[in-house]
Amino acid sequence: MSDAPARPARTVKLNVINEPKDSYTGGKSSLCPGCGHDQISNVIIAAAWENGIEPHRIAKMSGIGCSSKTPAYYLGQSHGFNTVHGRMPSVTTGAYAVNKDLLYLGVSGDGDSASIGIGQLIHAIRRNMDMVYIVENNGVYGLTKGQYSATADVGSKKKKGKINTTQPIDLAALAINLGCTFVARSFSGSKKQLTSLLKAAMSHKGFALIDVISPCVTFNNNDESMRSYGYVKENEITLHMTDYIPHFNPVEEVEVPEGHFRDIELHDGSTIRLETISDEHDPSNAVAALTALHGAETDQKHVTGLLYFDNTKPALAEDLGLVDTPLINVPADSLRPSKAILDQLNAALLG
Amino acid sequence: MESIANDYTINIATANGTGSQSANLILLQAFFEMGVPVSGKNLFPSNISGLPTWYIMRLSDHGYQAPGDRTHIQVLVNPATWAEDLAALEPGSVVIWNENAKMEMNRDDVISYPVPMSALARKINPKIAKLVTNIVYVGVLAQMLGIDQTALESAVAKQFKGKDSAIELNITALGLGRDYFKDNFTKDDPYVVEPREIETPKFFIDGNEAAALGCIFGGVQMLAWYPITPSSSLAEGIINYIPQLRVDDEGNATCAVIQAEDELAAAGMVLGAGWAGGRGMTATSGPGISLMQEFIGLAYFAEIPSVFWDVNRVGPSTGLPTRTQQSDITMLYEGSHGDTQHIVLIPGTVEECFEFGWRAFDITERFQTPVFGLSDLDLGMNRWACEGFTYPDQDMDRGKIVRDKDVFEAFEEFGRYLDVDGDGIPYRTLPGSGMDPILYRGTGHNPKGVYSEKPEDYFNLMARLKSKIDGARDLLPAPILREETECEVGIIYLGSMENTIQEIDDMLEATGLKVSQCRVRALPLHSEVEEFIRRHETTIVLEINRDGQLYGILRKELPNDLITKVHSVAYSDGMPPRARIYSDRILSTLKEVNQ
Repeated sequence: MSDAPARPARTVKLNVINEPKDSYTGGKSSLCPGCGHDQISNVIIAAAWENGIEPHRIAKMSGIGCSSKTPAYYLGQSHGFNTVHGRMPSVTTGAYAVNKDLLYLGVSGDGDSASIGIGQLIHAIRRNMDMVYIVENNGVYGLTKGQYSATADVGSKKKKGKINTTQPIDLAALAINLGCTFVARSFSGSKKQLTSLLKAAMSHKGFALIDVISPCVTFNNNDESMRSYGYVKENEITLHMTDYIPHFNPVEEVEVPEGHFRDIELHDGSTIRLETISDEHDPSNAVAALTALHGAETDQKHVTGLLYFDNTKPALAEDLGLVDTPLINVPADSLRPSKAILDQLNAALLG
Repeated sequence: MESIANDYTINIATANGTGSQSANLILLQAFFEMGVPVSGKNLFPSNISGLPTWYIMRLSDHGYQAPGDRTHIQVLVNPATWAEDLAALEPGSVVIWNENAKMEMNRDDVISYPVPMSALARKINPKIAKLVTNIVYVGVLAQMLGIDQTALESAVAKQFKGKDSAIELNITALGLGRDYFKDNFTKDDPYVVEPREIETPKFFIDGNEAAALGCIFGGVQMLAWYPITPSSSLAEGIINYIPQLRVDDEGNATCAVIQAEDELAAAGMVLGAGWAGGRGMTATSGPGISLMQEFIGLAYFAEIPSVFWDVNRVGPSTGLPTRTQQSDITMLYEGSHGDTQHIVLIPGTVEECFEFGWRAFDITERFQTPVFGLSDLDLGMNRWACEGFTYPDQDMDRGKIVRDKDVFEAFEEFGRYLDVDGDGIPYRTLPGSGMDPILYRGTGHNPKGVYSEKPEDYFNLMARLKSKIDGARDLLPAPILREETECEVGIIYLGSMENTIQEIDDMLEATGLKVSQCRVRALPLHSEVEEFIRRHETTIVLEINRDGQLYGILRKELPNDLITKVHSVAYSDGMPPRARIYSDRILSTLKEVNQ
């Protein structure tokens, strides 16, 4: 057919469960070119692949908004549910109650999480619902064309409109105050940091919140915006270098950093390694985390890294007191008591 | 004086939170144990302590269960409603009143039995005199009517299961009431209670507990709820029965219970459970359903099995939270924005509360659409006689779920929303199965579940959903028909009106009319309802609401030639239905029709 020399067969790289990365990709994105959310989708694909999670064991959950559309763009072999605005946590909670064996990966935005859905976010944290919850946080409502959201920073100005003077809701600070067991902040442009944080969140049992600054290239990427690519790059304070060591890759085999570092063991045996940059941050210290957030806000900076971590609290599954088998796999005769039992019950009621 | 046995109404006026409920239930149970057909209605305020509450007991050998037209025996304990209650009595009524209430007895046309209830109660234990006061009037009534002491003691034992000191105290207080009547009065009234032979043994149970048991036997796997009167006891019923009926040997449950942060979250959890392949449900009342509307639309559009119990109270808004009504019919049937239509199961008895409790799950999974149970405060919170519950006559129907790879691969073409069988019901796979992984959505979608704005995709989807629900009509519980051979007047009614219909029917037939009955038990309407209308000269649709909501549905769905035969009688004042009000309204409507 052609005289061109045959190309050597390309070896497809496989992960620990022998899946190619293609098994983790999704449909073509319909977001604006350059959108921070697409970078996060790529990180989700990479993290799930590198962590060797079977794609069908992931459930992709979202609410409504630009961010909530993204589950169509990653993990095409996973079931998902694009629910209603701000209500993804409750739907996820119900699904989890009957099938606790899936990895629930929620993606939300700042409108979805900090406004209409803040109540559900708070209560999912309160229950220590076992899920990863990513907020793709750009400070504006994209799909309705650029209104400020409740996370817009004071002093920031979007492309069109006045400077924002309304106090923002800091979701990371809120989560820490609520006792959330895993709280991180990152930036869609910091691929390495975000990937290791997301992998760690996937290894965590309990509610893992990652608040990701994800610039809106269309409505909020101008120089006066505090959530533009340029501003975040200039004003990011990184708490520590983060590195994730999966459970299937023993820690001893990983090169030991020269400086000071702290290893945190996660529920599935994986480790997140935090390498000190200047001052050491202790993620078990909620006050230190809040101080870091407050200081950054005062200085109009963004602090990123693993802010807070607590592995001592029971996840929701333990509170529910259920049988070990996920309820959807419990056989019918355990779900419907026998006729003999109903007969006894009738007799007891007759007294 | 000729005595009147087992055919009168007792009204007991007390204050909320004084323990009168247990005294009243002992009285009710004592009648019941004597085999006397009796019903009790608790009219309570939206308050924990101090506001007026009435307990109405109807004894009727005819089996009438409505409160009746008038009070024959009034017990007055509560000073707050004293004057009003007294003024409402017809001459010749009996009044048993607390002499220590410092209230006036200003009627000389009634039969008066003043009893120092508080003083007698203080004799037993001054600290709990308020509670004991109530049991004293039960003793007085027992003596006055001739209630059997064995029945009374058995009722006390049932009320205070195993609490010996409470049983002893109550029996002593009953004795004081009895003795006071014996020592101070000569019976001056005609009312007596006569034991009746118990042909079939029955027990008392309220509709909420019956529905809760039904859900347990329906294999409920997740209950998400937010407390609201009058549905809380349905959710709590499930919670109470789980440790007995739904745990393994180690005490681990096969049903998750989550008290949600609000009704929106409760509905979201129900959808989540249904999406994941579980049997999820919630129990709420009208205000909760209002909040759940958005999710109800999602469940309809994305075809997620989900069960919602609505124990109807008086609306709109907060309304009368502790009063009964049938006013959520339209909201359930056409819930959420856009064109929708939902399956609604409407029990009229406690046996049906149980049956529809389990059946709702089979139906929601079969049709992959939300299913509502519509009960109301009267049925849900009052106690009704029950012969016992019938075990489900069929195995659990989990609907069209593809669980095996072989089955999945045998499909020529698979699409989550593809109508393979022509019944409008598609096949689904479950999250975690790896088969046909799709992103469920509330946006427009094609048969594959992929986002689509194409006109034909939207139109076909909406047409299929309509045909799917339409196909459910004759598979849902059929109406209960009681027909006269002369098809003169037909009455279509629903739900708890079942407890009043026979009395209404007797009142109408006393005027010479021949009346047939058709109790609707599900929406969309069974085809037999239309046939019933066709057979009858005139049909009345009888409902406990203002607007005639069921009538509205009939007007919309009946063929044109039948619409003129159907007329609405809708009335609601918050009280449980009283037969006379409805029969009078039916008669005047018939008069207008025949003019």
